[in-house]
Amino acid sequence: MSDKVEKKPLWQFGTKQVVYAAIGAALYAVITWAFNLWQIPGAGNVGVRPSIVIPMFFGIAFGPIVGFIAGFVGNILADFLSGYGFWIWWDLGNGILGLIPGLFYPIIHNYRATASIIKGEISVVLGSALGMGLAAISEMWVSGADMNTVIFANFLPAFLTNIVWGLILLPILMVAYAAIMQRSGR
Amino acid sequence: MDRIDPRARFIVSLAILLAATSTWNPTLLAIVFAIAILWYASARLSFKDTKLGWLMISVMLFTMIVVNTLITGGGAGGVVPPGGQLIWPNGFNLFGKHFVIGLTIERLWFAIAQLMRILSISLAFIMIPYTMDSRAYGATFSKLGLPDRLAYTMELSFRFIPTLARNLQVTMDAQKARGFELDARRGGLFGKIRGVAPLVIPVTMNAIVSSEDIANAMDLRGFGQRKRTWLYQLRYHWWDWVLIVFSIVLVIVYMVLAYKYGLKLFSVPGWWYSLFK
Repeated sequence: MSDKVEKKPLWQFGTKQVVYAAIGAALYAVITWAFNLWQIPGAGNVGVRPSIVIPMFFGIAFGPIVGFIAGFVGNILADFLSGYGFWIWWDLGNGILGLIPGLFYPIIHNYRATASIIKGEISVVLGSALGMGLAAISEMWVSGADMNTVIFANFLPAFLTNIVWGLILLPILMVAYAAIMQRSGR
Repeated sequence: MDRIDPRARFIVSLAILLAATSTWNPTLLAIVFAIAILWYASARLSFKDTKLGWLMISVMLFTMIVVNTLITGGGAGGVVPPGGQLIWPNGFNLFGKHFVIGLTIERLWFAIAQLMRILSISLAFIMIPYTMDSRAYGATFSKLGLPDRLAYTMELSFRFIPTLARNLQVTMDAQKARGFELDARRGGLFGKIRGVAPLVIPVTMNAIVSSEDIANAMDLRGFGQRKRTWLYQLRYHWWDWVLIVFSIVLVIVYMVLAYKYGLKLFSVPGWWYSLFK
Protein backbone atom coordinates (compact mmCIF):
# COMPACT_ATOMS: atom_id res chain seq x y z
CA MET A 1 0.00 0.00 0.00
CA SER A 2 1.30 3.46 -0.90
CA ASP A 3 2.18 5.90 1.86
CA LYS A 4 1.09 8.84 -0.31
CA VAL A 5 -2.12 10.64 0.60
CA GLU A 6 -4.66 12.27 -1.65
CA LYS A 7 -4.65 16.04 -1.09
CA LYS A 8 -7.70 18.28 -0.88
CA PRO A 9 -7.68 21.92 -2.08
CA LEU A 10 -5.54 24.13 0.15
CA TRP A 11 -8.31 26.45 1.39
CA GLN A 12 -11.14 23.91 1.57
CA PHE A 13 -13.25 24.19 4.74
CA GLY A 14 -15.91 21.48 4.57
CA THR A 15 -17.47 19.35 7.28
CA LYS A 16 -14.30 17.31 7.87
CA GLN A 17 -12.19 20.45 8.24
CA VAL A 18 -14.74 21.87 10.73
CA VAL A 19 -14.38 18.75 12.88
CA TYR A 20 -10.57 18.56 12.54
CA ALA A 21 -10.27 22.24 13.49
CA ALA A 22 -12.56 21.78 16.50
CA ILE A 23 -10.67 18.66 17.60
CA GLY A 24 -7.34 20.45 17.13
CA ALA A 25 -8.46 23.46 19.16
CA ALA A 26 -9.86 21.29 21.95
CA LEU A 27 -6.72 19.12 22.01
CA TYR A 28 -4.49 22.17 22.19
CA ALA A 29 -6.54 23.55 25.08
CA VAL A 30 -6.73 20.28 27.02
CA ILE A 31 -3.03 19.42 26.72
CA THR A 32 -2.01 22.98 27.66
CA TRP A 33 -4.30 22.90 30.67
CA ALA A 34 -3.08 19.45 31.74
CA PHE A 35 0.58 20.50 31.59
CA ASN A 36 -0.20 23.70 33.48
CA LEU A 37 -1.57 21.51 36.27
CA TRP A 38 1.19 18.94 36.23
CA GLN A 39 4.05 21.44 35.94
CA ILE A 40 7.02 19.28 34.92
CA PRO A 41 9.75 19.88 37.52
CA GLY A 42 12.71 21.88 36.27
CA ALA A 43 10.77 23.74 33.58
CA GLY A 44 9.22 27.17 33.75
CA ASN A 45 5.59 27.83 32.90
CA VAL A 46 6.48 29.05 29.41
CA GLY A 47 8.43 25.94 28.52
CA VAL A 48 5.77 23.45 29.57
CA ARG A 49 3.71 23.75 26.40
CA PRO A 50 4.13 20.59 24.35
CA SER A 51 0.65 21.31 23.04
CA ILE A 52 2.13 23.95 20.73
CA VAL A 53 2.85 21.10 18.30
CA ILE A 54 -0.90 20.51 17.85
CA PRO A 55 -1.70 23.54 15.62
CA MET A 56 1.54 22.92 13.70
CA PHE A 57 0.63 19.28 13.07
CA PHE A 58 -3.02 20.00 12.26
CA GLY A 59 -1.83 22.61 9.74
CA ILE A 60 0.55 20.15 8.09
CA ALA A 61 -2.03 17.34 8.07
CA PHE A 62 -5.26 19.18 7.23
CA GLY A 63 -4.40 22.57 5.74
CA PRO A 64 -3.92 26.21 6.74
CA ILE A 65 -7.49 27.01 7.87
CA VAL A 66 -7.55 24.00 10.20
CA GLY A 67 -4.08 24.89 11.52
CA PHE A 68 -5.08 28.52 12.07
CA ILE A 69 -8.27 27.65 13.94
CA ALA A 70 -6.54 24.96 16.01
CA GLY A 71 -4.03 27.58 17.16
CA PHE A 72 -6.31 30.60 17.41
CA VAL A 73 -9.36 29.01 19.04
CA GLY A 74 -7.16 26.51 20.93
CA ASN A 75 -5.23 29.33 22.58
CA ILE A 76 -8.46 31.12 23.52
CA LEU A 77 -9.77 27.91 25.08
CA ALA A 78 -6.44 27.12 26.77
CA ASP A 79 -6.36 30.58 28.37
CA PHE A 80 -10.01 30.14 29.30
CA LEU A 81 -9.32 26.80 31.02
CA SER A 82 -6.15 28.08 32.70
CA GLY A 83 -7.83 31.30 33.85
CA TYR A 84 -5.53 33.64 31.91
CA GLY A 85 -8.21 35.81 30.31
CA PHE A 86 -8.45 36.78 26.63
CA TRP A 87 -5.43 38.06 24.68
CA ILE A 88 -6.49 38.45 21.09
CA TRP A 89 -3.05 39.32 19.65
CA TRP A 90 -1.40 36.24 21.22
CA ASP A 91 -4.36 34.17 20.01
CA LEU A 92 -3.73 35.46 16.49
CA GLY A 93 -0.02 34.67 16.86
CA ASN A 94 -0.88 31.10 17.78
CA GLY A 95 -3.23 30.94 14.80
CA ILE A 96 -0.42 31.97 12.44
CA LEU A 97 1.76 29.36 14.08
CA GLY A 98 -0.69 26.76 12.71
CA LEU A 99 -1.45 28.56 9.45
CA ILE A 100 2.14 28.68 8.14
CA PRO A 101 2.71 24.90 8.45
CA GLY A 102 -0.67 24.56 6.75
CA LEU A 103 0.73 26.27 3.66
CA PHE A 104 3.12 23.30 3.35
CA TYR A 105 0.12 20.92 3.26
CA PRO A 106 -0.01 20.59 -0.58
CA ILE A 107 3.67 19.68 -0.88
CA ILE A 108 3.69 16.96 1.77
CA HIS A 109 2.39 13.67 0.39
CA ASN A 110 4.19 11.05 2.40
CA TYR A 111 4.26 11.86 6.10
CA ARG A 112 7.08 9.46 6.94
CA ALA A 113 9.48 10.52 4.14
CA THR A 114 12.61 12.38 5.24
CA ALA A 115 11.97 15.20 2.74
CA SER A 116 8.45 15.71 4.14
CA ILE A 117 9.75 15.80 7.70
CA ILE A 118 12.36 18.40 6.73
CA LYS A 119 9.62 20.52 5.11
CA GLY A 120 7.60 20.12 8.31
CA GLU A 121 10.55 21.25 10.42
CA ILE A 122 11.07 24.31 8.21
CA SER A 123 7.40 25.18 8.61
CA VAL A 124 7.78 24.93 12.41
CA VAL A 125 10.57 27.52 12.42
CA LEU A 126 8.80 29.85 9.95
CA GLY A 127 5.44 29.53 11.71
CA SER A 128 6.93 30.16 15.14
CA ALA A 129 8.95 33.13 13.89
CA LEU A 130 6.00 34.80 12.16
CA GLY A 131 3.35 33.90 14.73
CA MET A 132 5.31 34.81 17.83
CA GLY A 133 6.87 37.77 15.99
CA LEU A 134 3.46 39.25 15.23
CA ALA A 135 2.20 38.65 18.77
CA ALA A 136 5.35 40.12 20.32
CA ILE A 137 5.40 43.17 18.03
CA SER A 138 1.76 43.85 18.89
CA GLU A 139 2.98 44.49 22.46
CA MET A 140 4.69 47.65 21.11
CA TRP A 141 1.30 48.98 20.06
CA VAL A 142 -0.66 47.64 23.03
CA SER A 143 1.73 48.11 25.96
CA GLY A 144 4.20 50.66 24.62
CA ALA A 145 7.05 48.18 25.05
CA ASP A 146 10.29 48.99 23.23
CA MET A 147 12.03 46.71 20.74
CA ASN A 148 14.41 45.28 23.35
CA THR A 149 11.55 44.17 25.58
CA VAL A 150 9.65 42.83 22.60
CA ILE A 151 12.61 40.75 21.45
CA PHE A 152 14.05 39.55 24.75
CA ALA A 153 10.99 39.35 27.02
CA ASN A 154 8.24 38.44 24.54
CA PHE A 155 9.55 37.02 21.29
CA LEU A 156 12.62 34.94 22.14
CA PRO A 157 11.22 32.93 25.09
CA ALA A 158 8.06 32.07 23.13
CA PHE A 159 9.88 31.42 19.83
CA LEU A 160 12.65 29.25 21.28
CA THR A 161 10.41 27.06 23.43
CA ASN A 162 7.94 26.65 20.56
CA ILE A 163 10.55 25.52 18.06
CA VAL A 164 12.14 23.11 20.56
CA TRP A 165 8.79 21.42 21.22
CA GLY A 166 7.79 21.62 17.55
CA LEU A 167 11.04 20.30 16.06
CA ILE A 168 11.06 17.26 18.33
CA LEU A 169 7.38 16.34 18.51
CA LEU A 170 6.21 17.17 14.95
CA PRO A 171 8.20 14.39 13.21
CA ILE A 172 6.93 11.86 15.78
CA LEU A 173 3.34 12.95 15.12
CA MET A 174 3.88 12.86 11.33
CA VAL A 175 5.22 9.31 11.41
CA ALA A 176 2.40 8.19 13.74
CA TYR A 177 -0.16 9.84 11.40
CA ALA A 178 1.35 8.04 8.39
CA ALA A 179 0.95 4.73 10.23
CA ILE A 180 -2.67 5.52 11.10
CA MET A 181 -3.47 6.45 7.50
CA GLN A 182 -1.85 3.32 6.15
CA ARG A 183 -3.69 1.12 8.65
CA SER A 184 -7.07 2.69 7.94
CA GLY A 185 -6.47 2.74 4.17
CA ARG A 186 -7.00 6.53 3.87
CA MET B 1 -23.21 41.18 33.89
CA ASP B 2 -25.36 38.07 33.38
CA ARG B 3 -28.13 40.23 31.96
CA ILE B 4 -25.90 41.81 29.32
CA ASP B 5 -25.91 40.20 25.88
CA PRO B 6 -22.55 38.47 25.13
CA ARG B 7 -22.24 40.47 21.88
CA ALA B 8 -22.54 43.73 23.82
CA ARG B 9 -19.87 42.48 26.26
CA PHE B 10 -17.42 41.83 23.43
CA ILE B 11 -18.20 45.20 21.83
CA VAL B 12 -17.59 47.10 25.10
CA SER B 13 -14.30 45.25 25.74
CA LEU B 14 -13.12 45.92 22.17
CA ALA B 15 -14.06 49.60 22.52
CA ILE B 16 -11.95 49.84 25.70
CA LEU B 17 -9.05 48.18 23.85
CA LEU B 18 -9.30 50.60 20.91
CA ALA B 19 -9.68 53.67 23.14
CA ALA B 20 -6.76 52.68 25.39
CA THR B 21 -4.43 51.96 22.50
CA SER B 22 -5.28 55.15 20.58
CA THR B 23 -3.50 57.52 22.97
CA TRP B 24 -0.64 58.05 25.43
CA ASN B 25 -2.31 61.15 26.89
CA PRO B 26 -2.47 60.53 30.67
CA THR B 27 -5.86 62.21 31.15
CA LEU B 28 -7.49 60.20 28.37
CA LEU B 29 -5.86 57.03 29.71
CA ALA B 30 -7.12 57.80 33.23
CA ILE B 31 -10.69 58.15 31.87
CA VAL B 32 -10.60 54.87 29.96
CA PHE B 33 -8.95 53.20 32.99
CA ALA B 34 -11.86 54.36 35.19
CA ILE B 35 -14.35 53.00 32.62
CA ALA B 36 -12.48 49.66 32.58
CA ILE B 37 -12.58 49.47 36.40
CA LEU B 38 -16.35 50.09 36.40
CA TRP B 39 -16.82 47.52 33.63
CA TYR B 40 -14.77 44.92 35.53
CA ALA B 41 -16.56 45.70 38.82
CA SER B 42 -19.92 45.08 37.15
CA ALA B 43 -18.86 41.45 36.60
CA ARG B 44 -18.50 40.94 40.40
CA LEU B 45 -15.67 38.46 39.99
CA SER B 46 -13.81 37.28 43.07
CA PHE B 47 -10.02 37.48 43.24
CA LYS B 48 -9.95 33.78 44.08
CA ASP B 49 -11.48 32.97 40.69
CA THR B 50 -9.24 35.26 38.66
CA LYS B 51 -5.95 35.02 40.57
CA LEU B 52 -4.17 32.97 37.89
CA GLY B 53 -4.95 35.60 35.28
CA TRP B 54 -3.80 38.40 37.57
CA LEU B 55 -0.61 36.49 38.34
CA MET B 56 0.21 36.38 34.63
CA ILE B 57 -0.62 40.09 34.24
CA SER B 58 1.57 40.92 37.26
CA VAL B 59 4.55 39.14 35.68
CA MET B 60 3.96 41.03 32.43
CA LEU B 61 3.62 44.38 34.21
CA PHE B 62 6.78 43.74 36.26
CA THR B 63 8.80 42.90 33.14
CA MET B 64 7.55 45.78 31.06
CA ILE B 65 7.22 48.55 33.61
CA VAL B 66 9.57 47.84 36.52
CA VAL B 67 12.40 46.11 34.66
CA ASN B 68 12.27 47.83 31.29
CA THR B 69 10.81 51.30 31.76
CA LEU B 70 12.02 52.09 35.30
CA ILE B 71 15.24 50.13 35.88
CA THR B 72 16.88 49.64 32.49
CA GLY B 73 15.23 52.61 30.76
CA GLY B 74 15.10 50.80 27.45
CA GLY B 75 13.61 53.76 25.58
CA ALA B 76 9.95 53.16 26.39
CA GLY B 77 9.05 52.19 22.85
CA GLY B 78 10.14 55.51 21.35
CA VAL B 79 7.18 57.16 23.09
CA VAL B 80 9.26 59.11 25.62
CA PRO B 81 11.75 61.49 24.00
CA PRO B 82 15.40 60.81 24.89
CA GLY B 83 16.98 62.82 27.71
CA GLY B 84 14.78 64.32 30.43
CA GLN B 85 15.23 65.35 34.06
CA LEU B 86 16.79 62.82 36.42
CA ILE B 87 14.84 62.21 39.63
CA TRP B 88 18.06 61.73 41.61
CA PRO B 89 20.70 63.73 39.63
CA ASN B 90 23.34 63.09 42.30
CA GLY B 91 22.28 59.55 43.13
CA PHE B 92 21.17 58.44 46.61
CA ASN B 93 22.48 56.51 49.60
CA LEU B 94 20.89 53.25 50.68
CA PHE B 95 22.26 50.82 53.33
CA GLY B 96 25.54 52.71 53.36
CA LYS B 97 26.04 52.45 49.59
CA HIS B 98 25.76 55.14 46.94
CA PHE B 99 23.44 54.37 44.01
CA VAL B 100 23.09 56.26 40.75
CA ILE B 101 19.93 55.47 38.76
CA GLY B 102 19.13 57.06 35.43
CA LEU B 103 15.39 57.21 36.08
CA THR B 104 13.85 60.41 34.72
CA ILE B 105 10.71 62.24 35.77
CA GLU B 106 9.30 61.68 32.27
CA ARG B 107 9.92 57.93 32.34
CA LEU B 108 8.27 57.58 35.75
CA TRP B 109 5.20 59.37 34.36
CA PHE B 110 5.31 57.11 31.30
CA ALA B 111 5.35 54.07 33.63
CA ILE B 112 2.12 55.31 35.22
CA ALA B 113 0.54 55.87 31.78
CA GLN B 114 1.73 52.41 30.69
CA LEU B 115 0.26 50.88 33.85
CA MET B 116 -3.13 52.50 33.20
CA ARG B 117 -3.10 51.39 29.56
CA ILE B 118 -2.19 47.74 30.20
CA LEU B 119 -4.51 47.45 33.19
CA SER B 120 -7.43 48.94 31.22
CA ILE B 121 -7.01 46.29 28.53
CA SER B 122 -6.49 43.52 31.10
CA LEU B 123 -9.60 44.54 33.06
CA ALA B 124 -11.68 44.54 29.88
CA PHE B 125 -10.59 41.12 28.66
CA ILE B 126 -9.78 39.01 31.71
CA MET B 127 -13.45 38.94 32.62
CA ILE B 128 -14.72 37.45 29.35
CA PRO B 129 -14.07 33.75 30.02
CA TYR B 130 -15.44 34.07 33.55
CA THR B 131 -18.68 35.71 32.51
CA MET B 132 -19.52 33.89 29.26
CA ASP B 133 -21.66 30.77 29.15
CA SER B 134 -19.61 28.35 27.02
CA ARG B 135 -22.78 27.47 25.05
CA ALA B 136 -23.01 31.07 23.92
CA TYR B 137 -19.72 31.36 22.03
CA GLY B 138 -20.96 29.83 18.76
CA ALA B 139 -24.16 31.88 18.65
CA THR B 140 -22.31 35.04 19.74
CA PHE B 141 -19.66 34.88 17.03
CA SER B 142 -22.21 33.87 14.40
CA LYS B 143 -24.43 36.85 15.29
CA LEU B 144 -21.35 39.11 15.28
CA GLY B 145 -20.86 38.21 11.61
CA LEU B 146 -18.47 35.23 11.69
CA PRO B 147 -19.33 32.53 9.08
CA ASP B 148 -21.49 29.74 10.52
CA ARG B 149 -18.85 27.07 9.96
CA LEU B 150 -16.25 29.02 11.93
CA ALA B 151 -18.71 29.83 14.71
CA TYR B 152 -19.77 26.19 14.89
CA THR B 153 -16.12 25.09 15.04
CA MET B 154 -15.75 27.18 18.18
CA GLU B 155 -18.89 25.68 19.71
CA LEU B 156 -17.84 22.14 18.75
CA SER B 157 -14.38 22.55 20.29
CA PHE B 158 -15.99 23.42 23.63
CA ARG B 159 -18.01 20.21 23.45
CA PHE B 160 -14.90 18.11 22.75
CA ILE B 161 -13.01 19.35 25.81
CA PRO B 162 -14.53 16.98 28.43
CA THR B 163 -14.12 13.94 26.13
CA LEU B 164 -10.52 14.76 25.28
CA ALA B 165 -9.66 15.56 28.90
CA ARG B 166 -11.01 12.13 29.88
CA ASN B 167 -9.02 10.46 27.07
CA LEU B 168 -5.87 12.24 28.22
CA GLN B 169 -6.40 11.04 31.80
CA VAL B 170 -7.09 7.45 30.67
CA THR B 171 -3.97 7.49 28.47
CA MET B 172 -1.93 8.91 31.33
CA ASP B 173 -3.13 6.16 33.67
CA ALA B 174 -2.47 3.47 31.05
CA GLN B 175 1.05 4.73 30.37
CA LYS B 176 1.79 5.01 34.09
CA ALA B 177 0.71 1.38 34.50
CA ARG B 178 3.41 0.56 31.90
CA GLY B 179 6.05 2.41 33.92
CA PHE B 180 5.84 5.81 32.15
CA GLU B 181 7.09 8.71 34.27
CA LEU B 182 6.13 12.17 33.06
CA ASP B 183 8.57 13.91 35.38
CA ALA B 184 11.48 11.52 34.84
CA ARG B 185 14.74 13.48 34.99
CA ARG B 186 16.65 11.18 32.63
CA GLY B 187 17.85 12.04 29.12
CA GLY B 188 18.38 15.78 29.48
CA LEU B 189 16.09 18.40 27.97
CA PHE B 190 15.54 16.57 24.68
CA GLY B 191 14.90 13.29 26.45
CA LYS B 192 12.25 14.96 28.60
CA ILE B 193 10.57 16.50 25.57
CA ARG B 194 10.58 13.16 23.75
CA GLY B 195 9.18 11.65 26.94
CA VAL B 196 5.97 13.62 26.43
CA ALA B 197 5.30 11.75 23.17
CA PRO B 198 3.78 8.58 24.76
CA LEU B 199 1.09 10.85 26.14
CA VAL B 200 0.47 13.33 23.32
CA ILE B 201 0.66 10.92 20.34
CA PRO B 202 -2.03 8.37 21.37
CA VAL B 203 -4.47 11.09 22.43
CA THR B 204 -3.98 13.02 19.17
CA MET B 205 -4.24 9.97 16.92
CA ASN B 206 -7.35 8.68 18.75
CA ALA B 207 -8.97 12.09 18.32
CA ILE B 208 -8.20 12.16 14.58
CA VAL B 209 -9.58 8.66 14.03
CA SER B 210 -12.80 9.43 15.90
CA SER B 211 -13.24 12.75 14.08
CA GLU B 212 -13.90 10.84 10.84
CA ASP B 213 -17.04 9.29 12.35
CA ILE B 214 -18.20 12.65 13.69
CA ALA B 215 -17.73 14.33 10.30
CA ASN B 216 -19.64 11.53 8.55
CA ALA B 217 -22.49 11.78 11.08
CA MET B 218 -22.65 15.56 10.53
CA ASP B 219 -22.71 15.13 6.74
CA LEU B 220 -25.54 12.59 7.04
CA ARG B 221 -27.53 15.17 9.00
CA GLY B 222 -26.96 17.78 6.29
CA PHE B 223 -24.48 19.99 8.10
CA GLY B 224 -23.76 23.20 6.22
CA GLN B 225 -26.55 22.78 3.68
CA ARG B 226 -28.47 25.86 4.83
CA LYS B 227 -28.20 28.75 7.27
CA ARG B 228 -27.67 27.39 10.77
CA THR B 229 -30.01 28.08 13.67
CA TRP B 230 -28.70 28.13 17.24
CA LEU B 231 -30.22 26.50 20.29
CA TYR B 232 -28.81 29.28 22.49
CA GLN B 233 -30.91 32.34 21.66
CA LEU B 234 -29.48 35.84 21.94
CA ARG B 235 -31.70 38.89 22.30
CA TYR B 236 -30.69 42.52 22.69
CA HIS B 237 -32.34 44.55 25.47
CA TRP B 238 -32.42 48.32 25.75
CA TRP B 239 -29.41 48.31 28.13
CA ASP B 240 -27.37 46.37 25.53
CA TRP B 241 -28.09 49.09 22.97
CA VAL B 242 -27.04 51.73 25.50
CA LEU B 243 -23.73 49.92 25.99
CA ILE B 244 -23.17 49.49 22.24
CA VAL B 245 -23.90 53.18 21.52
CA PHE B 246 -21.62 54.16 24.43
CA SER B 247 -18.85 51.95 22.98
CA ILE B 248 -19.15 53.49 19.52
CA VAL B 249 -19.15 57.03 20.95
CA LEU B 250 -16.13 56.20 23.14
CA VAL B 251 -14.11 54.96 20.16
CA ILE B 252 -15.11 57.90 17.93
CA VAL B 253 -14.31 60.50 20.63
CA TYR B 254 -10.92 58.92 21.38
CA MET B 255 -10.00 58.66 17.69
CA VAL B 256 -10.97 62.29 17.04
CA LEU B 257 -9.07 63.54 20.12
CA ALA B 258 -6.04 61.40 19.32
CA TYR B 259 -5.70 62.00 15.60
CA LYS B 260 -7.47 65.32 14.93
CA TYR B 261 -6.51 67.20 18.10
CA GLY B 262 -3.05 65.69 18.54
CA LEU B 263 -3.72 64.02 21.91
CA LYS B 264 -2.23 60.77 20.65
CA LEU B 265 1.22 61.68 21.91
CA PHE B 266 2.74 61.27 25.35
CA SER B 267 2.95 64.43 27.48
CA VAL B 268 3.95 65.21 31.07
CA PRO B 269 1.79 67.67 33.06
CA GLY B 270 3.51 70.61 34.75
CA TRP B 271 2.36 69.64 38.24
CA TRP B 272 4.22 66.34 37.94
CA TYR B 273 7.55 68.20 37.59
CA SER B 274 6.74 70.38 40.62
CA LEU B 275 6.49 67.24 42.79
CA PHE B 276 10.22 66.61 42.31
CA LYS B 277 11.48 70.12 43.12
